[in-house]
Amino acid sequence: MLERPAALEVQEITRLYKSSGRGVSGASFEVRPGEVFGLMGPNGSGKSTLLRVLSTAIAPQSGSFRIGGADGVREKRKARARMGLMVDRPTHYGDLSGWANAYFFARSYGVEEKKAEIVLAELFDYFGLAEYMDDKAKTYSYGMGKKLALIEAMAHAPDLLLLDEPSLGLDYTSQLAYQKKIRELATSGVAILIASNQVDEVEALCDRVAFLQKGRLAALGTPEEFVSSLEGLRRIVATLRNPVEYGALGGIAGVERVATEGRDLVVHCAERPGLVADVVAGIVGAGGDITDLAVRRPSLEDVYVKLTGEALRDED
Amino acid sequence: MKINPPDTYWKKDVALFFGKRFALLIKMLYPMALIVPVAASDIPAQYAAAVIGIVAVMAGTFGAGESLTVDLNDGILMRVALTPLSPRRIVFEILAVNAILDFIQILPALLIVYVLNPAPLVWVLAATVAIFATLLTANCIGIFIANFTSSPADVLLYATAILAPLIYVSGFFRNQNPIGTLATLRDFVPFAYMNDSLKEVFGLSTGAVPLEMFVYPGLIAALCALGVCLTAPRLLSPRF
Repeated sequence: MLERPAALEVQEITRLYKSSGRGVSGASFEVRPGEVFGLMGPNGSGKSTLLRVLSTAIAPQSGSFRIGGADGVREKRKARARMGLMVDRPTHYGDLSGWANAYFFARSYGVEEKKAEIVLAELFDYFGLAEYMDDKAKTYSYGMGKKLALIEAMAHAPDLLLLDEPSLGLDYTSQLAYQKKIRELATSGVAILIASNQVDEVEALCDRVAFLQKGRLAALGTPEEFVSSLEGLRRIVATLRNPVEYGALGGIAGVERVATEGRDLVVHCAERPGLVADVVAGIVGAGGDITDLAVRRPSLEDVYVKLTGEALRDED
Repeated sequence: MKINPPDTYWKKDVALFFGKRFALLIKMLYPMALIVPVAASDIPAQYAAAVIGIVAVMAGTFGAGESLTVDLNDGILMRVALTPLSPRRIVFEILAVNAILDFIQILPALLIVYVLNPAPLVWVLAATVAIFATLLTANCIGIFIANFTSSPADVLLYATAILAPLIYVSGFFRNQNPIGTLATLRDFVPFAYMNDSLKEVFGLSTGAVPLEMFVYPGLIAALCALGVCLTAPRLLSPRF
């Protein structure tokens, strides 16, 4: 069977800012129709710069990219027409209604009048905005604004969706609705690139993931491949009643990283007999009152921590 | 023709203009508040013409420049620029709709001027055309300034720096009978044609030819419009 051509082909994209020297360098990957592709990386990794280039907002200094066959540098308008875009901080015309904003964007992408009305009515209904469609966009909450931006990105049935932190700020129900819609679109052949640091979301949705570090594509693979590369690692999550000074835990043999997440103390460590007992003893010895304890297998979150941890160590 | 929901950039601007009722009331009233007392007074013709001219120039320049920089800061204009719409078309629509809306704002006051100061029809038409050309040119200046700053406050500063010499050359207050280089320069500023035609409306003979009022300011404004439309890729590029 012939493989369908890539919806997004990125070849050796480089864009570095003169002022800071940061940006993205030599990034190459492709996103195929029907594929959900995750782009992850810590702050300053070049993720935003790469997205700016791919959205055609800025031109690369070298390299090229094609969206649905259209050259993203030389055929910007064709490329834009094939792409649905949601920026990380969506803005709208506050004095126009949510519906008017979405209608304006749909028509700007060339959707015919009647079709725009039908498609938008479905999307407003799907994302639970139907009852607020006539309200001015400036009265929308942050999450509602994000949902409106998702509607604007999807309404013209693009070949490629470029979503920057799409679920950040969405309530739980809306997140589920959004994830269901992403799966539906992927099934129908839409290629989707999600830039996000919501590890759970990326792990749940993405077929492949690319990690950016210091402007370079550091790793690319399926979530399963990444997670299996961490065989032998474990994560101990201890919920504490009180905060503790946990520095001494880093000295326990096998412990790779210790961090707090709210009331949880998260210990990334190698798998070795007796390690959990040593960690618990260390926490109790530091005066910690453990109310819950879990030992978890590695997830994409651990991959992220490992990769970004290595990046931080390299910087040191 | 349906304006709201809008399906083009200009309809979006029209919908926003008429959507804010209180702001609309203020926008319609302030030109009247400035122009009507002047038109009804015995002020010398050249100063009455100058007041209307200043209102038109300021409304045009600050209107487009400030609203553009606000949209640029907000990020919404950048988002629109990432649709398949042609950047030059977007800038042309911004320019055209702002000039027309400014004209709508000033028109009631202008009609009162014409009623209070009956003048030959040809000069009334000439003044109207020249005022529109002035608004178009002033909006071009506002858009041009937005290429270099994303601060509405800077727009005021830069606009003053650009408009002050143009107003001087046009002979609103000083330089009313220019000679030599100043006279030549004056021919290239649309504000000057508006000033001459308004003086005629207020009964002061300037020796100007009505046909010039219909042709030259329009031509100059069209060239300015072409110029700012060519700046579209820069104007609609991200600011870092």
